Amino acid sequence: MTDPRRTHALTPLIQAVPAFPVAFVFLLGPGRELIASRGLGVIALTLGGALLGYLGLAAVSWLLWSRRTFWIDTDGDLRVDSGVVERSSRRLQLSRLQSVDIVAPFLARLAGLVEVRVEVAGTSGSHVVLRYLSRADADLLRRMILEFARRTADDVAPEEEPWVNEPDLLASVPQGRLMGSLLLRSVTATLLLLSVLLLVFTAATQGGAGLVLVLITGGLPILSVVGEFLSNYGFRVDRSREGLRIRQGLLSTKTRTIPAERVHAVAVVSPLLWRRRGWVRVTVTIAGVEGDASRSGPEVLIPVAPRAEALALIAEVLPGVDVEALPFVRAPRASRWRSPFAWRTLAVAITPDVIAARYGRMTATTAIAPHSHVQSVRVTQGAWERRLGLASLHADTAPGPVHVVARHLDQALVRPLADQEIALVHRVRRMP
Amino acid sequence: MDSVDAVFVPPAAAWMPVSRKLATARRITLSLGYILVAVGGGVIAWSPLPRWWLVGYLIAAVVVYVWAWWVIGRRVAAYGYAERADDLIVVSGILVRRLVIVPYGRMQMVDLRAGPIDRWLGIATVQLHTAAATTDAAIPGLTPLEAAALRDRLAARGEARSAGL
Repeated sequence: MTDPRRTHALTPLIQAVPAFPVAFVFLLGPGRELIASRGLGVIALTLGGALLGYLGLAAVSWLLWSRRTFWIDTDGDLRVDSGVVERSSRRLQLSRLQSVDIVAPFLARLAGLVEVRVEVAGTSGSHVVLRYLSRADADLLRRMILEFARRTADDVAPEEEPWVNEPDLLASVPQGRLMGSLLLRSVTATLLLLSVLLLVFTAATQGGAGLVLVLITGGLPILSVVGEFLSNYGFRVDRSREGLRIRQGLLSTKTRTIPAERVHAVAVVSPLLWRRRGWVRVTVTIAGVEGDASRSGPEVLIPVAPRAEALALIAEVLPGVDVEALPFVRAPRASRWRSPFAWRTLAVAITPDVIAARYGRMTATTAIAPHSHVQSVRVTQGAWERRLGLASLHADTAPGPVHVVARHLDQALVRPLADQEIALVHRVRRMP
Repeated sequence: MDSVDAVFVPPAAAWMPVSRKLATARRITLSLGYILVAVGGGVIAWSPLPRWWLVGYLIAAVVVYVWAWWVIGRRVAAYGYAERADDLIVVSGILVRRLVIVPYGRMQMVDLRAGPIDRWLGIATVQLHTAAATTDAAIPGLTPLEAAALRDRLAARGEARSAGL
């Protein structure tokens, strides 16, 4: 239980800042002609207007801020009361908590503030953003929410010092490796190579048109590399009591917690250009709980890591699963007529805990889903597959980046495998 | 039974078939679609194109119509489902054959729906939803009584087996 309180007092001042860019856009756009015809006074007028707009926005924002309070009530629910004319009262059942994220948007970060996003299972309106709080307040609130969630969910007595939770570093991504991994992507590398060729070509022929193309072939990958570099900068994964805690970002940092039981599927992805360095990426499907299937959570467990480090991370979310020792059954030789490049990589493995599928030549992927999160099992057979005596096995999981699909297997094996998988799904389901 | 059918072999004696009225419904939809084809024919007839264009067009339209008519019959015949103790199995498709097994405990919602032509003919579709968007388990062409009973049975079994995350 806590007393009702407001967010940080600087909030209205930060929320009103967008008034300024609007003024600049006006100056650059329709305002340009005005300046040309009426002189520089227009600039002063616009800046004055912007200031006035800022103060107005800040005032409205302040009014809203002053009427918005949040607290944790005696039932262990997070309550948010807000609204000036029309009051609204939100109540988030923390026992159904899904995630608490701390995000530091650029502007708030300049003021040393962060926002806290709380999500619980449910359909709409199960999401609250508290902006803005000081870093220390946000950390405290986050721990309290997690603690209340754990307590109400498990009904166990709180331990002493419940919020002491030393982070325990599992993996981090050095900047050099991150940059290298971004440059060594097929699309990026191809486009950059193309840009260099174009530059050489334009220099040789002295034709200017090539430069426009370079702007696209060179500009796009640089934009995407810079964007991803900023968002994945300082990526680190810690083990905490509530699950894996991921922190990332340079201009705006993001902190997320992934409880192991919310992980529906995991994939180890190894792009062609990374293979010599032994790097892989790990993506995960974090799904909403029942009744909220459409919302998927964070998708990258680690953007780039040496294989051993990545597998150690997977062991955290899928305990007892050894990715290197999965008993893969490969697709038969006949599959080379259906999938001439990747057929050697196609394989499926079923263990007592998980089902795994391997596929992809350029981007070698191993997708793994625990039986406890497999939603349904499908067998498909196209006309061409039927001619070759092949069929594909799909383990359907919640929507996300991971697809457990074992393609072009021997058709004699597929139905027994499907039956085996569904039996395992039933078995883990029955266990409490 | 050859080895191809072994992949899609029914768990019990046979798959439960769906109503032949589904073929009728789909053939009505097909025929309604042919209004557009007729409009196309009219455009050709009124345009300065040579006459043999119209003849070729009409022949092609008739061939496609007959072929689609026949495919609809085969596709409806290919539908089958079986209720087992713990899961529901649905098979479908002729060119691409599909089999989906949905454990009752994984069902989040069972939908019953029927369009205007379906209602007029007295058939309905039962659709199963799980947390996976790819599950794709629909049984069309059930009589409304069958459909409602199936939906209720599925919902009851789903509730009994759902552990509730």
